[in-house]
Amino acid sequence: MNLRQSFKMALKSIWGKKMRSALTMLGIIIGVAAVVIMVSVIQGQNAQTMKMMESQGTNKIEVNAYKYWGGDVSQELYNYCLGLSDLVVGVTPNIQIYNEMTIQYGSKSYNTQRWDDWEDMVTVALGNDKYGLCNNYQLAKGRELSYLDVEKTNNVCVLGGGLADKLFDYLDPVGRYININGNPFLVVGVYEKKAVDGWPEWDNLVLLPYTFNRTLNGNSQISSYSVKATSTLAATEAVTRLQAFLTGLIPQGAGDFYVQSNDQYIDSMNEQLLMQSLVLVGIAAISLLVGGIGIMNIMLVTVTERTREIGIRKAIGAERKSIVAQFLIEAAVICGIGGVIGIAIGYAGTLIAGKLLLQMADPLLPGAGITVGAFAFSVVLGIIFGMYPAVKASGLQPVEALRAE
Amino acid sequence: MLIQIQNIFKIYNEGKENEVRALGGVSLGIDNGEFVAIVGASGSGKSTLMNVLGCLDIPTYGDYHLDGTDVTSLTDKQLAHIRNKKIGFIFQGYNLIQELDALENVTLPLIYQGLGAEERMERAMDALRKVGMDDRAHHKPAEMSGGQQQRVAIARAIATHPPIIMADEPTGALDSKTGAHVLEILRELYRGGTTVILITHDNGIAATAKRVVRLSDGVIISDELQEVDWQ
Repeated sequence: MNLRQSFKMALKSIWGKKMRSALTMLGIIIGVAAVVIMVSVIQGQNAQTMKMMESQGTNKIEVNAYKYWGGDVSQELYNYCLGLSDLVVGVTPNIQIYNEMTIQYGSKSYNTQRWDDWEDMVTVALGNDKYGLCNNYQLAKGRELSYLDVEKTNNVCVLGGGLADKLFDYLDPVGRYININGNPFLVVGVYEKKAVDGWPEWDNLVLLPYTFNRTLNGNSQISSYSVKATSTLAATEAVTRLQAFLTGLIPQGAGDFYVQSNDQYIDSMNEQLLMQSLVLVGIAAISLLVGGIGIMNIMLVTVTERTREIGIRKAIGAERKSIVAQFLIEAAVICGIGGVIGIAIGYAGTLIAGKLLLQMADPLLPGAGITVGAFAFSVVLGIIFGMYPAVKASGLQPVEALRAE
Repeated sequence: MLIQIQNIFKIYNEGKENEVRALGGVSLGIDNGEFVAIVGASGSGKSTLMNVLGCLDIPTYGDYHLDGTDVTSLTDKQLAHIRNKKIGFIFQGYNLIQELDALENVTLPLIYQGLGAEERMERAMDALRKVGMDDRAHHKPAEMSGGQQQRVAIARAIATHPPIIMADEPTGALDSKTGAHVLEILRELYRGGTTVILITHDNGIAATAKRVVRLSDGVIISDELQEVDWQ
């Protein structure tokens, strides 16, 4: 019996029992849709994280160091990094001010506390002349903060590209003054936009010399720094050195510290994502298993119902393999159709999840791999769970099968 | 001899209390080109005999040679080939597949033969034409009368040009006029050189066969040639 004929027969028999076929497919549809959505969302999240980390630069090292007494470690860390010049190209305090601050130019005004409107919330950061370098910002206009700006606590700032656009529209911000909490600050530079989905605050940035920590941040201890390594490999080495250095600088009980490169962060993130994926895919696999058992069940019923037909086919010369092929193809077609519907629902679900869960600007869609894989898997599922009923059908004795009503 | 059976037994539940001897040692030879009626009352074992002759059932004991081949030693696959190529079955209940139309039903044995689509179509239409059903090719069994369904079943049986036609009560479910028409088609096949084996309980139908084999309680009680007026 040729394949085309078998497909035609399978479609005919599926179409002949629409309600039953639909119910049978439901298990596969739900399972496949769940797998497609889960895998796609995880992949989307992963890609988003990667993009976010890449926008920060993989050579970046985050340092958190805190002493219970005796002031911060800024100067020691700075000096130590100067000595690591083959590994490290810069270090900057990296402080975010969480107090309410208003940034104003002309009639336009933005605030640090707009938690209800993420897109318009402003981040006020404190750093030094290496802030842009360490945090992977590119200058679009003007200059970075200077060493003198920091030393003298000059009223100057560098703006992120997003905030610059919002405040100035098409004017050149460099050389103009903005008001921060009523005090005038000279804009000396503007950074290029990073434009990373889900992180608008990186572009709604106001960077001030870190010496404003005393007045604007209640003189709280400076504890977080960004270090820029010369390469990803150097970053790993620098992390080891910095850990050793800080262990000496902050004895146990005198404070705490934490050093991690972006690369390490990505690794641990990936590990976490893999665990999540395994758990979710495991759950989805169970639902597909249940769907597969449903297929087997309904195929057994079909074989019983069509015992007489099997007898007729055998009487006119069907070999066992023709009967096996007929029922396997029918099971595979049911599962294949279920798979296609499941994938379609998976696409819709992924689109919605991308918008609502991940807040991605570009639509999130399942990749080609998961699409093809899910379809192939559902067909294979049909073949596996259709095997027993098909073999059972093919083993019927023609006389006995013909006797069936 | 085309068909040669020797001392065939078919015993169900052998050795148990409810043992049934459907065939109790039947020997029979049928030549190429014969028209044989196997006659018996219900329960006489005639259907069992047809199943054995048609390779649908395996005898418990005995020898069966079909066209020189020892059938009892064949595999499932080889038996399927014999049923496909050498024998055309016509059943009392037509046994058409309800989901398929007339043409598709007739095409089925040709598909199992592995013929190409074009040749299949040609031979199936040819068979339907022979039984006068070519104008109903795309009707489903449910849309046809009993006589029409039986003619489609005959078309299916002859589509592969088998040397043997086995008909099990082919007129049993038909009125006498339609039944006569079906019998006429069988005679026509016989005239064309096909061996026809007709199983019936109806002596009136048996009277139209050239050779009548009578069966009772699983054994042959008579086997005689008779003069018929239809040739």
